[in-house]
Amino acid sequence: MSIRRSSGLIGAVSLALILAGCGSSSDGGSDAASEKDKTRVFAADNGKITIPVDPKRVVATGYAVPALIEADAPLVGISSWKRGEPMMSDEDLAEYKKLTKVAGEQAAETNYEAIAEAEPDLIVIGVPAPVLGDIDVKRLESIAPVVAIGPTLPSAWRDLSRKQADAAGALEKFDAGQKAYEAKAAELATKYKDVLPQLKLGHVGAYGEVAKGTFQREFGGSWGTNIAEDLGAKYYGKVKKAGSGSSAVSEYPSVEELPEAFGEADVLTYSVNADGSVPEAVQYVLDSKLWKNLPAVKAGKTFPLRYTEAATYGQAMKTLDAIDTSFAPLLKR
Amino acid sequence: MTVAGRASGRAGDKRAAAGQIGLLVGGLVLLAVVTVLSMGIGARPVPPSEVVRALFDYQGTDDHVIVRDVRGPRSLLAIAVGAALAVAGALIQTLARNPLAEPGILGVTAGAGFAVTVGSALGLAAGQTGQLGFAVIGSVLAALLVAAVGRRSPLRLVLTGVALTAVLSGVALGLRLMLPDVFDTYRFWSVGSLAAREQASLALPLTAIVVCLCGALLLSRALNALTLGESVAHTLGAGVGRVRAVALVLITVLCAAATAVAGPILFVGLIVPHLVRKPAAGSVPWLVLYTMVLGPVLMLVADIGSRVLLPTGEVPVGIVTAFLGGPMLIWAVRRYGAGAL
Repeated sequence: MSIRRSSGLIGAVSLALILAGCGSSSDGGSDAASEKDKTRVFAADNGKITIPVDPKRVVATGYAVPALIEADAPLVGISSWKRGEPMMSDEDLAEYKKLTKVAGEQAAETNYEAIAEAEPDLIVIGVPAPVLGDIDVKRLESIAPVVAIGPTLPSAWRDLSRKQADAAGALEKFDAGQKAYEAKAAELATKYKDVLPQLKLGHVGAYGEVAKGTFQREFGGSWGTNIAEDLGAKYYGKVKKAGSGSSAVSEYPSVEELPEAFGEADVLTYSVNADGSVPEAVQYVLDSKLWKNLPAVKAGKTFPLRYTEAATYGQAMKTLDAIDTSFAPLLKR
Repeated sequence: MTVAGRASGRAGDKRAAAGQIGLLVGGLVLLAVVTVLSMGIGARPVPPSEVVRALFDYQGTDDHVIVRDVRGPRSLLAIAVGAALAVAGALIQTLARNPLAEPGILGVTAGAGFAVTVGSALGLAAGQTGQLGFAVIGSVLAALLVAAVGRRSPLRLVLTGVALTAVLSGVALGLRLMLPDVFDTYRFWSVGSLAAREQASLALPLTAIVVCLCGALLLSRALNALTLGESVAHTLGAGVGRVRAVALVLITVLCAAATAVAGPILFVGLIVPHLVRKPAAGSVPWLVLYTMVLGPVLMLVADIGSRVLLPTGEVPVGIVTAFLGGPMLIWAVRRYGAGAL
C-alpha cells in the first residue's frame, strides 16, 4: 500500500516538473539568459577584455566616476572623487553622494571586499596607467571583467569619457551631452571669432610649487587651455622637453622665467578654484613683480578661468560658461 | 721670561691677531663676491655688472626686478640663515663641550617639524606664513622644555634634546602616515629651502637673527671663560648659570628663526664651527666671528648649487648642504685630526 502511494507521488511530482519546465521555456527565459550572457571584446589600457554587451552592475573609479554618473550608467559602486564635486551638477552630485563608495581618493585605497559585495558585472578603472600598479587588477578580475581607461593627455578627456561610457553601455545620454557641448562651443566660437583667434594667449596653471619657486605654464591641449581652444583661443609656445601625459603640454619653470614665458602674450589666463578663489601657486605668480611687469598684465588683459579641470562634457559646459564670463571684456575693447 | 722673550711673544701675538683680522677681512670679501654671484646665477642668468647696477642704479627692468625682488631677498635670507645656524652651532658646541652637538640637538628642529605637522593636520599651516608661525611656536616650546629639564648640566641638556627629538619625530611621523595631505604639506617644508621666500614676511625672523647674532658676540667673552671649566669660570668672575641661560636663549631663537624661514637645514650648524676652529685658536669671540662669516658663505654656495645642479629645476638647499656637509666634516677631521674637535 505504502509502496503504491509512493510511486503515485513520484509520478505526480515528475509530471509537475516536466510541465513547469515546458512552461518556463515557452515564456522566453532562455532568451533573457543568453542576452545577459552576451559579451564583446573591448580594447582597454590593460589589453583586450571580454565584457558584457549590456552591463547591469558597474563599478567605476577615478575619472570614470563623473563620466559614468553623467552618462547614467548602471553604477553600483564608485570611488571617492572629491576633486570633481565642485564641477558636478546638483543632480549628479546627489547621485554621487548616494552611491556606495568602494574606494578612496587614491588608487591604493581600493576596498576589494566592498567591490566584491557590490557584485558588479563590470569594473571600469579610470586612473592613469602608472597608477594602475597600485591596484591589484588580478584580484578585481576574479570579481568581474576589468577595463582600465585612464587619462593620458589632458585634452583626451573627450575620447576617454566616451570610451568609458561605451564600456558601461551608456552611450545614449553621453552622446546627448557631447552634442550640447559642441553646440555651445560653436556658438561661443562664433561670438569671439573676431577677437580670440588674433590673440596670443598664455596660461598659468594651478599646480606650480611655491616651495620650489616655480609656476605651471600650460600650453595648448592642457587642462587650463583645451576648452578655451574650442572657442578659438590660441595658446602659443610649446614645452621645452615634452614628457608623457600632462607634461607633454605643461611645464614648471622658475618664477624668474616669467618674462620669457609670457613676454609675448597679448592675453594671460590663469586657473582659479571653482569658487573663484585663487590657488596659492597662482597667487604666488600674481604677486610677483615680474608678473606685474608683463605687457599683458600692464594692459589689463588677464583673466581668471574656473572649472579648468573639467573631464566630462557636462563639466565642460560649466567651463564654457566660465570662459564666456571671463572673456566678455575682450568683446568691449 | 726675559724682556726679549716677552717682546718676541708680543710680536707673535700681534702677528697672530693680524692674521686673524686678515682672515676675517678675506672672509668678508669672499662673502661679498659670493653674494654678487648668488644674485647673478639662476634660471635667468644676470651678469655681475648688471647685478651691481640693479643694486645702485635701479631701472626696473626684468633683470633688475630679479636681482632686487627675487634673488636679493633670497641671498639676504641665505646670509641670515647661514649665520644663525653656524653661530648657534658654535654656541651649542661650546656650551655642551661636545664637538658633535648641533642646534637641532636641543629639539628645536623636531619641535618645528612637529608643530608644522600638527598645524597642517588642523588645516592652519597650509601657506608659508602659517608654516612659519607654527615652526616658530614649535621650536621655541621644544627648546624651552629641553632647557627646563636639562639646564643643570650639558650632558643632561643633550640627552633631553635627543629624547624629545625622538618622541616628537615619532608622533609627527605617525600623524603624517595617517594623513596623506599633511604628509604632502610637510615634505616640501622638511627638505629645507630658500626658494620662493621673497614674498613671505621675513622682517621679524630676520630682526631676531640680527639681534641674537649681536648678543652672541657680546656673550662670547664670557663663554671663553666657560671653556676653561666651571670652577675656573667662577674664579674669573663669570656667572656660569646666567651665561648658560643667555646662551640657550640665543641658540633657541637663532635656530628657531632659521628653521622657521628655511625649514630644517642640517650640517651648517655642525660643520662650520669645525672649519674655523683652528684659525680661531681656542678663542670663542673669534669662533663666533668666523662662523658668522663662513656660515653665510657656505649657505650661499649651497644655494647657488641648488639652482644649477640639475637641468630640470632646483634642488632644495637642505639636500645640497647635506651633500656638502658630510665630505667637509670628514675633510676637517682628517685635516685637523681629533684636536680640531
